[in-house]
Amino acid sequence: MSQGKLKFIAAAALLAFAVDSQVLAADARCISLKSMAEVEREIVDDKGGKSVKRVAASKVVPGTEVIWTITAENTCKQASENVTINNPVPAHMQLVANSVTGAGSDVTYSLDGKAFAKPDQLTVKENGADRKARTNEYKHIRWEFKNPLPAGATATASFRAVLE
Amino acid sequence: MQSVRSLAVVGTMALAFGIASLDAHAAGALAGTDIESTAEVTYTVGAVNASATSNTVTVRVAEILNVVVTVQTPTVAVSPGDTAREIVCLITNTGNGPETFRLVTDNAVGGDEFDPAIASPSIYFDTDASGDLSAADTPYVAGGNDPVLPPDGSVTVLVVNDIPGTVVDGNRGFARLTADARTGSGAPGTAFVNAGVGGTEAVVGLTGAAASGQAQYLVTSLTVNAVKSQVIVDQFGGSRPLPGARINYTIVVSATGAGGTASTVLTDRIPANTSFVPGSLRLNTSALSDSADADAGEFTTTPDARVRVTLGALTQASGNQTIEFAVLIN
Repeated sequence: MSQGKLKFIAAAALLAFAVDSQVLAADARCISLKSMAEVEREIVDDKGGKSVKRVAASKVVPGTEVIWTITAENTCKQASENVTINNPVPAHMQLVANSVTGAGSDVTYSLDGKAFAKPDQLTVKENGADRKARTNEYKHIRWEFKNPLPAGATATASFRAVLE
Repeated sequence: MQSVRSLAVVGTMALAFGIASLDAHAAGALAGTDIESTAEVTYTVGAVNASATSNTVTVRVAEILNVVVTVQTPTVAVSPGDTAREIVCLITNTGNGPETFRLVTDNAVGGDEFDPAIASPSIYFDTDASGDLSAADTPYVAGGNDPVLPPDGSVTVLVVNDIPGTVVDGNRGFARLTADARTGSGAPGTAFVNAGVGGTEAVVGLTGAAASGQAQYLVTSLTVNAVKSQVIVDQFGGSRPLPGARINYTIVVSATGAGGTASTVLTDRIPANTSFVPGSLRLNTSALSDSADADAGEFTTTPDARVRVTLGALTQASGNQTIEFAVLIN
């Protein structure tokens, strides 16, 4: 270990506990997680040809479908295993049916953020009887990637939701 | 020890909601609301558990401009020369931000027989919520007291017009009220940069951020006719008007023409030198008591002897209303 790094650890030890623990946990900090919100815009070129382009969604009106994309990049030299991404469906938004993607992952949903299950196992009590939950009632999405994420590799998860 | 604490953090779901409350709102998420989303990942490297959170993405709800005008009095029956006849309209902000609306009346609408004359002032707020024009109602002044409505908020206004004296029965005059968002209106999707709540865009919604309501004034000169007939029955089996003879009166009331009356009351005096026969009053063959009570008819002696029958609202479709009573010749 270089002298510079030793000095760094010594300095870190003086900081508050929360910061301190993060520094030591950095040994396992391999995945960099990025989240992004976009909307689709129809672009018409000079010849009248139409194409759909994604642009950042910073301000949207009710009824707009927003595409949320989460990318997990493994920045370490070893593989990360049991990679699981969780994302709540944002407030005031309703998940769009069949819009969730995540290559190589098992996707489950939750109504309360605690119990996750496949869609056909999610039920809602209504008038004393259980019924299947509707997609727009899902409040959380979980992607469990089946294979280890190799060094330098990226895993992507996405969903679409409409602003109420 | 420190790494154990780190693990405890890993075990907790990191939920990042910028907005805790989920307002159920017909107009949609309120303009200016920030919607935040943060993803979380858990994983293992070798035997070490780890987690990370993403950047927080913030999407701001832009303002959508929408308005609906609902006419609550689609047809108003009027007479030639009427003044200050009102149309009742409800203006509702169906956008997702507070918005100021401008109100304009327009009576030059095609397809009718006359143009109602716009009264001055021509629009009133139904300040006392009476549903009609009254002294307490505040006149609308364009640019002065334009209604400011919260999302889903509404206001009732009265559009006031005069009816020309030259119109005739059956003529229709259309009157229109338009409300448009002061921020802007136009084709759906038109955006006004930085014009919305919280510095967001304001975008014209499907209503075009302008809406009109149209009502018609229908000229109706309704005629109410009453036809009275009598049958004399004397005590000798004849029909001579002798003292002691009974006169059975029949009055048939009917309305002809378009529209209807608000209320019709028939009053008929008992002729001099005769006496009302108690219990003889009937309406459409049903007996009416002589006293003033729940039924439609009464016999009264003030200010003089008369029968009085309340027939209510009458239209041509009501048909004949037959009133019968009897007197004895003194």
